[in-house]
Amino acid sequence: MAFVFKRLALYLIALVVSLILNFLLPRMMPGDPVGTMFARFRGRLSPEAMDALQQSLGFTGESLLDQFWSYLSALSSGDLGLSVAHFPTPVTEVISAGLWWTLWLAGISVLISFTLGTALGIFIAWRRGGVLDQTLPPLFALLGAFPYFWLAMLLLWVFGFQLGWFPLRHAYGDDLEPGWTWLFISDMFRHAALPALSIVLATLGGWMLSMRNTMISVLGEDYITLAQAKGLSSRQVMLRYAARNAILPNLTGFGMAIGFVVSGSLLTEIVFSYPGQGYLLVQAVRAQDYPLMQGLFLTITLSVLFANWLLDILYAVLDPRTRRST
Amino acid sequence: MNRTSWLLDIWYNPKARCGFLILGGLASLAIFGPLFVSDPSLSVARPHLSPSWTHLLGTTGQGQDVWAQTVVGAGLTLTIGFTVGLLVTVIGAIIGVISGYLGGLTDELITALVNVFLVIPGLPLAIILAAYLPTGPLSMVAILTVTGWAWTARVVRAQTMTLRGKDFVRSASLIGEPLWRIILVELLPHMASLLLSTFIGTTIYAIGAQVGLEFLGLGDMGSVTWGTNLYWAANDQALLTRAWWTYVPTGVGIALVGFSLALINFGLDEVTNPRLSVDRIWRSRLHQLGVTPTSLTAKVELRSSTATSNSAAEIANKRGVRDE
Amino acid sequence: MNSLHLAAPPSSLSHQRDQSQRDQSQRDQSQRDQSSLGWLLIITLCCLCALSCRRDRAEQREDVLVVSVEQHSSWIRNFNPFSPNARRFTRAGVYEPLMIHNSVTGELTPWLATAYEWNQDYTELSFTIRRGVKFSDGTPLTPRDVVFSFMYLQRYPALDISGLWSIISSVEESANHQVTVILNEPFQPKLHDIAQHIIVPSAIWSKITDPVAFTNPHPVGSGPFTEVNVFRSQVFELSRNPHYWRKGRPAIRSLRFPAFPSNDQANLALVTGEIDWAGNFVPAIDRTFIAPDPNQRHYWFPLVGSMVNLISNTQTPPFDQLKVRRALSEAIDRERVVEIAMYSYTRPADSTGLSDGFQKYHDESISHDYQWADYNPTHAIKLLRDAGLRRDHRGWYLPESQDPISLTIDVVSGWSDWVRAAQVISHQLREIGIDARVRTSEFSSWFDRLRSGRFELAIAWADDRGSPYEYYRWLMGSETVKPVGESAAGNFHRFGDRAADLLLAQLKRGTSKAQEQALVNLLQRRYAQLTPVIPLFPNPQWGAANRQRITGFPSQADPYAPLSPNREPECLLVFDRLKPRASLAHGGER
Repeated sequence: MAFVFKRLALYLIALVVSLILNFLLPRMMPGDPVGTMFARFRGRLSPEAMDALQQSLGFTGESLLDQFWSYLSALSSGDLGLSVAHFPTPVTEVISAGLWWTLWLAGISVLISFTLGTALGIFIAWRRGGVLDQTLPPLFALLGAFPYFWLAMLLLWVFGFQLGWFPLRHAYGDDLEPGWTWLFISDMFRHAALPALSIVLATLGGWMLSMRNTMISVLGEDYITLAQAKGLSSRQVMLRYAARNAILPNLTGFGMAIGFVVSGSLLTEIVFSYPGQGYLLVQAVRAQDYPLMQGLFLTITLSVLFANWLLDILYAVLDPRTRRST
Repeated sequence: MNRTSWLLDIWYNPKARCGFLILGGLASLAIFGPLFVSDPSLSVARPHLSPSWTHLLGTTGQGQDVWAQTVVGAGLTLTIGFTVGLLVTVIGAIIGVISGYLGGLTDELITALVNVFLVIPGLPLAIILAAYLPTGPLSMVAILTVTGWAWTARVVRAQTMTLRGKDFVRSASLIGEPLWRIILVELLPHMASLLLSTFIGTTIYAIGAQVGLEFLGLGDMGSVTWGTNLYWAANDQALLTRAWWTYVPTGVGIALVGFSLALINFGLDEVTNPRLSVDRIWRSRLHQLGVTPTSLTAKVELRSSTATSNSAAEIANKRGVRDE
Repeated sequence: MNSLHLAAPPSSLSHQRDQSQRDQSQRDQSQRDQSSLGWLLIITLCCLCALSCRRDRAEQREDVLVVSVEQHSSWIRNFNPFSPNARRFTRAGVYEPLMIHNSVTGELTPWLATAYEWNQDYTELSFTIRRGVKFSDGTPLTPRDVVFSFMYLQRYPALDISGLWSIISSVEESANHQVTVILNEPFQPKLHDIAQHIIVPSAIWSKITDPVAFTNPHPVGSGPFTEVNVFRSQVFELSRNPHYWRKGRPAIRSLRFPAFPSNDQANLALVTGEIDWAGNFVPAIDRTFIAPDPNQRHYWFPLVGSMVNLISNTQTPPFDQLKVRRALSEAIDRERVVEIAMYSYTRPADSTGLSDGFQKYHDESISHDYQWADYNPTHAIKLLRDAGLRRDHRGWYLPESQDPISLTIDVVSGWSDWVRAAQVISHQLREIGIDARVRTSEFSSWFDRLRSGRFELAIAWADDRGSPYEYYRWLMGSETVKPVGESAAGNFHRFGDRAADLLLAQLKRGTSKAQEQALVNLLQRRYAQLTPVIPLFPNPQWGAANRQRITGFPSQADPYAPLSPNREPECLLVFDRLKPRASLAHGGER
């Protein structure tokens, strides 16, 4: 478990760094973002309310350290300030509407992509030199080379607009009441299908290739030869010996991929009007809504860090060595 | 072992050669193409004309020539992409080598920072940075470098740690060679293929991220790049007006660059990864003998004593290498 | 590097079973491998099929109007009519104003007030409040509510966005169901702002302690649609007010708003027929929207939006010279700008700089007398020479300067039509030898440059607020000119003219209709003489409607109001006329 806690320490540092980034960016950047930000509140907020808001965001005349402190204390009480573009709604409320959808979309895509990619990787490594091994890697490299959003646009156009097989937008049908009903859940999947497919297509190749290469390395190990010499079935050797060992390094990449896929899904969400964080972030940027922008960055980072930590726990469970090392 | 023999081998690798040819073609198009096309930002005809002989790829929603835009757009996009690739590789290599070679507290601190940058999601950070910085190619390079250096640093550090224990590095440090000399002469040349591989990876990332940011309208919309082309295509509602020619060429261009770079990386991997290459040679021999290779036949393993046990590209392929 | 070595052999190696499988043939094995892959494929395909099956869409109700306004990825609940970020139709749907200024006809339509009256010297404005109006909770709307709604802004100045209380001194209830607004000074042009003030129930709003931060989730208003019965992040619905004062209205049951984060998405939905009424920009609209169903679909883009100008900093050389400003104007081929940047949805501006919203003031003779808004590059070059500029192969020079003039046109990066217009203009200016480059920047930095006057050329809107007084005040009024470096609220081109000031003062004091027309004509001529800004084109009001389910939309043939859901009080006029098609057939069941 020491491993898990060691990683936890890393995530805490990462959190602090992103807090510092969040804090310093508006204060260090050229121009006067802070001035602009408050200029946009002018006329909407009474002077006292403005002071209070400045206080809570840490924009005061004090030293940087003191400002940072008041920024942190406001944060710890869940106060991310008020959104400029959606004034007077607090940033936390604006964000909470879409966070789950982003996590759901990114989560399901990364899961499918990882499972499918790893399975294919195992398979083509096992039958390396075969037709699939010759064709799949270049094919997926080509698919992966297209920008996420470009594939998304294409899928939307072909399967959504022209063929009408899939809905064009949103995370569930507008005429449905969200709830744990079969109808709603199936609709949720239907709406996630195209966006997820575009992410899966773009990322599958990476998983497949890295799994294939690790598998090939593992297949060269003595214990595999031994296992085969002992006459275990190929299938058993492939899955229980080679794949099980090869999957661990691939799993470590999983954590990093979450950040990557969340990034990519932001773009995909925009194409599919998926009600997640992606479009909120872009709209916040376009509207110069700095509090919202920073709040979004913070929540996205936090959720990626948390997902990473969960993975570490899983990793520790799967890999005996991390449990042993203290 | 000849340190640079793999450079030649890459050329003889069919995948890599194919990649080089595609990339070369695109690069020469980007360099010389603009001499032969009209001003891409000039409106030369009616908007949304479909492809014809006068306008090979039709016109955009603003009546600009799509072919000219694609050709000229390649220039800035590739320049930024390769610049970022180079910058990230240089910065990442320096940080990684210093961290890996010095070890101790410096290493701990740098590693912590690298890990932090690796887990912070890149695109949101890039979007935020782009929002604050003035628009322009320099800002774009800065943003992509800041969000991309950590991966290279990590890979290079891992490789340095292996090399550090090798005799030639030890002896160099024993005879009192200065640090910069050890790094530049002893360490970096030995990981040339690794650096090349990360350079390729970073360039792919930089082009993708740049196009993504510009597609969101966060770049310099006045310039002509592949990202702004797609931005304008979306803006002029290419899908709705069925003007596929406004976004397909650019998308294919981006994909071709990414694909050719990936092919080169495949080739590099096959050439420098002893396991993959031995396997391949063995396979082709068997093939000549008329034996169909299967999982059981290819169990020959050369434990190469000269090469490091894991190839450059293999390391680069394993994204999340853990160091314990 | 240790980490790269793989995990130790699994312990299962020791309890391996028999050796009998040793002679199993390779062929079997490969078949099994393939079959497992096959299963994987079959499962994937099944999932895809299951997903792609169409769910039976719940039939869209005939009497629900689906509207596309505002672009958001998810809806935030805010029905506070004083908040600039309230959901659309809060100020004209949930709540209503005293009167509605119709930008198409230019008239004031009585609404919650049946009439207005000025006193002799235009210092007191009285409204007769309609009797029998009820709020959606059943309580009557009284003159007291009207007075309260005005006084509310005085109590909370942060809500007073249009600055009413800078000219109002008090608001009183008077006899005969009347409310009188007393002004500090004669100020006729403020009529529209005052008449369109939103009326809220005093019983409810007097209890709100912080109206600025209040999002009014369950609004009570006097408008046609007050009941929020669906509110989710993807869609919300506003339904009929049970106590609406206009009998039998509205004929439609509710308004439905799906969230569209971008124009692309809204347009896709518009084209597929999911939307009845939209106010977004649609490219090539005849081909994309109209063509699939020309009988039921129509659009109308009246040019009543504000004028879009190329503005120059008139306090810095060379733009302090009239000839230079005119030369720039004549160098621009507005036809081309309009065709490329605006899909020919608008027309080139003429030398009066008036949009169609001011049609009734437009003096045709002026555009004949002053032709500096026509494309004439040769004359433009002559004007530059006359202005004392020198020219060589590198470009134009100021009289004493060694370096050629190089200009920057500032535009906001996201505002694509203007960016495009700027690109076309920069090409055209380069054709007469002026080196002009486009610089795109974020709104705030662009806006800062304009406000402080630190720019050369920029594309910007003209402030008109529906009245010629405001339009010309921000174009030529000396009081609005701020020195370069100081932040200005408008008049970014920093141009003031004494003669115009006198005319504006007269206009403000209040005049008869004929006098007003004469004054505006003089202002028009003054504008044409001075070229304070370079007008490009009037902004269209985007509006498109699909009459498949709902009819009664305004159109060019029946221009009773603009066909744009973005025009806030005026859409009340549209709601009043809309009818479901079904009720047409059944002769109106309600």
